[in-house]
Amino acid sequence: MAQMEEIKGSYTTADKVKRGILGFFLNALMIIFSASCIFPLIWMFYSSLKTKRVFNADIIGLPTAPTIENYIKIMTNQDYHIGQSMVASVRTTVLSLFFIVLFGFIVGYILSRIKFKGNRILYVMFLMGMLIPVHSLLVPIYVVFNKTGLGNQWFTLVIPYVAFGLPMAVFLVEGFIKAIPVELEEAAAIDGSSFTRTLFSIILPVAKPILVTIAIIQVFSCWNEFSFALVLIKDVRLQTVPLAMTMFKGQFASDYPKIMSAMLTTMAPIVVLYFIFSKQIIKGMVAGAVKG
Amino acid sequence: MLRSIKPKGWKIALYLCIPVIWYVFSVFVPLITAVFYSFFEWKGGPKKTFIGLDNYISLIKDGTFWQSFGHNIYLVIACIIGQVGIAFIFVLIVNSRLVKLKGIHRTFGFFPSTISAVCIGFIWTMIYDYKRGILNWFLTATGHGDSVQVWLNNPKLVMFLVAIPLVWQFIGYYMVILLSAISSVDTEIFEVAELDGANAFQRAIYIVLPLIKNTLLVCITLCVAGNMKAFDHIFTMTEGGPGTSSMVMAMYGYKISFAQMNMGYGSAISVGIFIVSLVVIGGSQKLVNLLMQGKGVE
Repeated sequence: MAQMEEIKGSYTTADKVKRGILGFFLNALMIIFSASCIFPLIWMFYSSLKTKRVFNADIIGLPTAPTIENYIKIMTNQDYHIGQSMVASVRTTVLSLFFIVLFGFIVGYILSRIKFKGNRILYVMFLMGMLIPVHSLLVPIYVVFNKTGLGNQWFTLVIPYVAFGLPMAVFLVEGFIKAIPVELEEAAAIDGSSFTRTLFSIILPVAKPILVTIAIIQVFSCWNEFSFALVLIKDVRLQTVPLAMTMFKGQFASDYPKIMSAMLTTMAPIVVLYFIFSKQIIKGMVAGAVKG
Repeated sequence: MLRSIKPKGWKIALYLCIPVIWYVFSVFVPLITAVFYSFFEWKGGPKKTFIGLDNYISLIKDGTFWQSFGHNIYLVIACIIGQVGIAFIFVLIVNSRLVKLKGIHRTFGFFPSTISAVCIGFIWTMIYDYKRGILNWFLTATGHGDSVQVWLNNPKLVMFLVAIPLVWQFIGYYMVILLSAISSVDTEIFEVAELDGANAFQRAIYIVLPLIKNTLLVCITLCVAGNMKAFDHIFTMTEGGPGTSSMVMAMYGYKISFAQMNMGYGSAISVGIFIVSLVVIGGSQKLVNLLMQGKGVE
């Protein structure tokens, strides 16, 4: 390290200037990138406070007379189904999360700890779920759901979301449980704890971090999922947010500020969640992506 | 594996049955259904005619399907270069001592990847919009008024223009993944290399790259898999148009099945997407492994 300092000290003035200029450009580049990521949100926000006429005259300027008229319109007009779509999205997301975490935990635990015939078969089956391109299932899943009457119900979307979220959850849990010493359960068994009790009151608390990671990843994918909602839901009252936004966009193609206000309203839960928990969310998503 | 306490078989079966049935019903049953209906001419009504392999023969001859496949590959390549490549460069920049505000770049850069494709698509349609788009506004403001156009209606440019939002949305995502891979590496390695007189470029290629090789592989796999299923962005921005100039496989399958109600052929396309995607994903992994081994570093 001392050598390091020496070398730093021996930088000539020209070197320092060079580094200064380079530093300025690198910083500027990164700031432009970060700004481009956040600017659309800010632009949509202040533009949503304009009326259509003002926006069409000047798309980039700040509103001179900000108004929340657009928000009042989209929230009070029942025909727009904004509130309704948010309720549907919250319901679908919460239910999907619950089942993904619960099933992922149970299946992941059993696959990693209990030897039985078919253990490997199940393992490979779930592994295939991660490799199968789910979008090739769009059409067939529509056919199956229509035949069985499962399409277009309030619970319809929970079925594919849980099924497609499950493989990753199973693998994250399986990997996590492997790292826990078996003695934990053996001690519990000696104390007379049943399988069910061990599973839920001893293993569950230990596995909490990985379950939180799974939940974080799935919140975003369930809330934003579009293609299966598009295919499986016909009833406007059951539309989730991305689907409702697509319809809304088509209906008010020229009234951009109104579309923006609707987009922002429906994005709000996710955006707020993100900026409050960004550290944990980023950590969870990265862990999921790399391990999954 | 647990040995001392082996729970009873029926108990395990009871725990497993609901998740497994649920999973099989939504993944494997549709897959088999698709294969079944792909042998029929079926327009969604009660009438089905068995036509054997005819759907597959038309699929192989279907220029639009292969054009869509080409567009998927285009997106894969654009995103590997754009997302993983740019993310890698950004990681080197953010990691250098000259750059401040690391936390902000991480939080803001990651943000677009948490937003739904519908919103992203809308934002970019707004940018490309003819009358009120930011791009045309910018061109006019900087005196290039003559190049103003209806951007997404230009068949030559449309694939490039839809690739930009996709690339932009996930740069931060890959940047954060790569950053976390690098942060687990001892920083002394970089200092020693600097002392040994390695310049920034050499350090990137010979030290950083091999160290995060595995993570890079994961990123590329994610990129390939993600773009083979591209649908949402295309649906919200162009629906595959103008004509079929921005059609991707999933979009084509959707159009055939739901706009033309040609469910039999749609099922054959689904099976086609399934096979083609598996081949591309598997092949790309082999290729990446080969390339990485060829480097011989580590």
